[in-house]
Amino acid sequence: MEQRLAELVEELTTSGQPQLEPGSMRELKKICRSSEEHLARAYHLLMTRLQEEHAEIRFSAFQIAHELFARSHHFRTLLIADFQDFLELTVGTDHEQPLPPPKEVAQKLRRAAIKAVQGWHEKYGEAYKKLALGYHFLKQNKKVDFQDVSARTLAERRREEEKQKRLDNIYKEKTRKAEKEMAEMSPEIADTLTEMENCFRLLMPDPFDFTVNDAELEPNKQITASENKPASPSSSQIAPHPSYFGHVDDEQPCCSKDLLSVSPCFKTGRNEDTSEEQEQQDQKELDGGIRSELGSDIPALSDDDYQTFVRNHGLISHKYTLDLEISTDIKVHENEDNTAIINNVMDAHKLLRNKFLPAVQSWIQLFTRVGINDDRLRCAIDLKNKLESAMKKYKEMNISIKERKRKLGKRNRMKASDDDDDDDDDDEFVEVPEKEGYEPHIPDHLREEYGLEPLSPPSTHGKEAPGGRAPLSSRAQPKGNEDELDPTCAAATLKLIRDQLPKLPPVHTRLSIETRKRAEERARAPVLPFGLDLHYWGQDQPSAGKILKLSSQHRFWAPNEVEEEVENKEISDMLKTRYITFAGEFEPVRHKCRAPMPNGGLCQRQDRFKCPFHGKIIPRDESGIPLNSEDRAREAKMQFEKQAAQPEWRDPEFMREVEAATGVDLGSSKNNEKGGKKKGKKKKYPNLTDLKQQADNSRSRLEKKVFNKGAMKRVVKAMNRVDQRKHEKFANQFNYALN
Amino acid sequence: MLGFLAARQAGLEEPARLRRAEATRRVLSLDLNKDRDVERIHGCGINSLDIEPVEGRYMLSGGSDGVIVLYDLANFSRKPCYTCKAVCSVGRSHPNVHKYSVETVQWYPHDTGMFTSSSFDKTLKIWDTNTLQPADVFHFDGTVYSHHMSPVATKHCLIAVGTKSPKVQLCDLKSGSCSHILQGHRQEVLAVSWSPRHEYILATASADGRAKLWDVRRASGCLTTLDQHNGEKCKTSSEGVNTTHNGRVNGLCYTHDGLHLLTVGTDDRMRLWNSSTGENTLVNYGKVCNESRKGLKFTISWGCNPEFAFVPYKSTIAVYTIFSGELITRLRGHYSTVDCCVFQPHFQELYSGSKDCNILAWIPALREPIPDDTSEKQLNPAYEDAWSSSEDEG
Repeated sequence: MEQRLAELVEELTTSGQPQLEPGSMRELKKICRSSEEHLARAYHLLMTRLQEEHAEIRFSAFQIAHELFARSHHFRTLLIADFQDFLELTVGTDHEQPLPPPKEVAQKLRRAAIKAVQGWHEKYGEAYKKLALGYHFLKQNKKVDFQDVSARTLAERRREEEKQKRLDNIYKEKTRKAEKEMAEMSPEIADTLTEMENCFRLLMPDPFDFTVNDAELEPNKQITASENKPASPSSSQIAPHPSYFGHVDDEQPCCSKDLLSVSPCFKTGRNEDTSEEQEQQDQKELDGGIRSELGSDIPALSDDDYQTFVRNHGLISHKYTLDLEISTDIKVHENEDNTAIINNVMDAHKLLRNKFLPAVQSWIQLFTRVGINDDRLRCAIDLKNKLESAMKKYKEMNISIKERKRKLGKRNRMKASDDDDDDDDDDEFVEVPEKEGYEPHIPDHLREEYGLEPLSPPSTHGKEAPGGRAPLSSRAQPKGNEDELDPTCAAATLKLIRDQLPKLPPVHTRLSIETRKRAEERARAPVLPFGLDLHYWGQDQPSAGKILKLSSQHRFWAPNEVEEEVENKEISDMLKTRYITFAGEFEPVRHKCRAPMPNGGLCQRQDRFKCPFHGKIIPRDESGIPLNSEDRAREAKMQFEKQAAQPEWRDPEFMREVEAATGVDLGSSKNNEKGGKKKGKKKKYPNLTDLKQQADNSRSRLEKKVFNKGAMKRVVKAMNRVDQRKHEKFANQFNYALN
Repeated sequence: MLGFLAARQAGLEEPARLRRAEATRRVLSLDLNKDRDVERIHGCGINSLDIEPVEGRYMLSGGSDGVIVLYDLANFSRKPCYTCKAVCSVGRSHPNVHKYSVETVQWYPHDTGMFTSSSFDKTLKIWDTNTLQPADVFHFDGTVYSHHMSPVATKHCLIAVGTKSPKVQLCDLKSGSCSHILQGHRQEVLAVSWSPRHEYILATASADGRAKLWDVRRASGCLTTLDQHNGEKCKTSSEGVNTTHNGRVNGLCYTHDGLHLLTVGTDDRMRLWNSSTGENTLVNYGKVCNESRKGLKFTISWGCNPEFAFVPYKSTIAVYTIFSGELITRLRGHYSTVDCCVFQPHFQELYSGSKDCNILAWIPALREPIPDDTSEKQLNPAYEDAWSSSEDEG
């Protein structure tokens, strides 16, 4: 009978069903009814089931207890004697001992238990003092609201509160930090913003402020317009710039430059119409000449310019109706006057974008999350708005950074070739010594590496080209250079010219071929850091490596024989040798291990030589079979040995089947402990929710790894060893030796 | 019982015998009674209880929120069902209420017109019961764990106070000042108790693991330190000096005759000492679970034949026979840790206070009524079994 009782309780509690199975329940009740001993036994069984760390088991046990509680006085006395434990296990009154997972069932259990306690109290409360006390305890101490549907206990609430509190603390700390940061950063931001604002004003005066700063800070406004195509493509390009007043680079005439920046199709236009090209050249020269003479009087000239344009391009009539679409987007071009300003603006913008804006955004996020709704948040939002408006303004300005880069490149080129510049420029360039390994011409395909723009066709060289090439070559070298004139420089210039004016007849083919070859070689040549060997390149140092020893000047004391000169081979070698470390090149691994795995797949590891799981990597075919016959043989042999170690009849699958059939433990679980255990457990209570599976998240997996006994031991050992070593080191000092 | 009565009638036995036997029986049958309740006033755990020794009628309770309540225990309603009424209380709104948890309350031993209370707010207050105003307040440097007035003193009016400092202070009610300091403990003093036999003998228990006996007339030091090994060298003792308990000693109680002294410590042990010699009587009580970080108030019955000790044991009250160390029973009824219990010697009732805010009254169960036809009907229907009648249903 007792045996049957235990079986019944186990069966009922491990069913995992929300309702008890009525048949077994009836039987259980019958047994319990038969004697008080059985009832007590059932009670203890149920209490042990209630202590199980599984909400479903507890729930079923609680349901059984509820049934019996309503029926037997003896059961009631027993249960009420342990009522505190019962409450802890079913209602979860102890907040350090919450109900076990799964959560939904635990929630259900608590609701049912609270409802039951209320029912019991109403029915039996008078008779059982402790039940009444328990009810009051729940009601007053644990603040269980018996009408509350969610049936949250105080313990639960407290747990939540604790969590909230912890979060609050963290947030508070963060807020404080953010506040401090904000206080520190606000003036900085304000400064930057003012700076930017001022820069903007300098670059782009308000339409109403025009008169104030037209002298030096002329607006670099470019108004692009599309017109109703009247004639040739070239005219369509030129026409839109009647009102162009912009500052341009010294060596670049205004029209060509701007044309280029606007329309990439200009080139084709030129290709079609050489005469016009020529005209343009003239125009440029004219421009340049005037400019160099008159300097800043361009605005006055520009009107003439326009008329010249009209005349040159055969636009005799002024009756064309031009629809000017003045686009709202402004474009600011960099020139010498505003370089500093633009640099400033860009720096400020970078600062805003990379530092301030993310910081401000994170503050706002933090404040909103914490729920702070006072000056701090307002301040942060203000800051953000300001920043954003500044950023927007910057974007609207369309500052062309490209210009800047190209200018840099141009400078470099100019340095090599340009001579007839102003005195200022001369000063600037002569003082800089020629750089070793300097490449006057950078081949097109390498330009990207140097951070340069792809070559832009028009430049000073183009202008000078028709003038004469011969003098160029001599002039190309900066003054004060040594007698060794590198012909390549001139050649480079020529090449440039050729690049830029491809349609010009190839006069300098011979030269250019040479240069090209040269350039190719250069491109191939390694770049090395400067060293002694380069310093003494091609020079013979007769005294190198000789160590001179001065003979003693003493009257009496002199070594008996003094070798005045000692030659040290190493030193002399040092001047001529260079060590180049050759590390080889990194080559990514392309092959895979591809050893067959038990799950049928192939090992996908990409190790260079050796797979940590499958040993040396050998060539294998698609299905993982080694290509070499000896490898195949070796693998087969290993397989055979493995099978020999475990006889076939002990195959775990087979054994398990046999065990299931016969009901005798043949030790398959010993063989394959992990798998066996799992199987066995699953078989035990298949109806219960598997808690282990639920707990299989990244945290638990990590925990398994980190708190693994072996790992812990290893760490402890390593740390002990470190300690020990310290002791060994100072072993002979008494204060270390003692501990 | 009838035999006792007959013997008493015949004068065969001394009169105390019957009383003792009946008292013992009653103590052994202590249980929760549905007819007796104590009014719920406290909103927090109850730290201390005291019943006045004169009539045994009024009970004081000190809560961990600083509230002190005075209960009337006597039942004059002529009905079995009775709820002990709170006569008056020093609530949170009272201007002189203790700021923090009240650790000890005690009646003035000779009269109900005065009581004392000590608290974690570092004060000891002397209250006038009738006006419920403090007559005097003593301030200390540390939190007060415990205080005690001698129940038998006629020549002095000293209150021994155990505070966070290792010095035991003696406050003289006559002069209203701290008259004495007893030095000897090394850590806070968790419990103090005057001997009920000799008016100048004081026992103190401290967190340094020692309990000491003092004669307050002697200035030089304590009389003796209670030694769990009775002077034998103990290997486990690291300091070479033997201690009373291996943990903190946090409870102290004299038997009513003052001949023996019980101590409990956080080493989960209880020890019985001969109070005149300071000798460990080596009674083994087994494990007495004790997790309290403060003083623990336990009590000893009075007037029974084997005397009983009532010791809080987690959420239950363990009842031990003092001299044999036998665990009689554990009284279950509280839902949280029990902090204090007090014995009412006249009716053999026990009152216990716990962290679950309840004061429970443990009343001796009445004799079983002789089963006859009428009593069958009086049985509460709740006690009946309710198995369904049909055999199949179960």
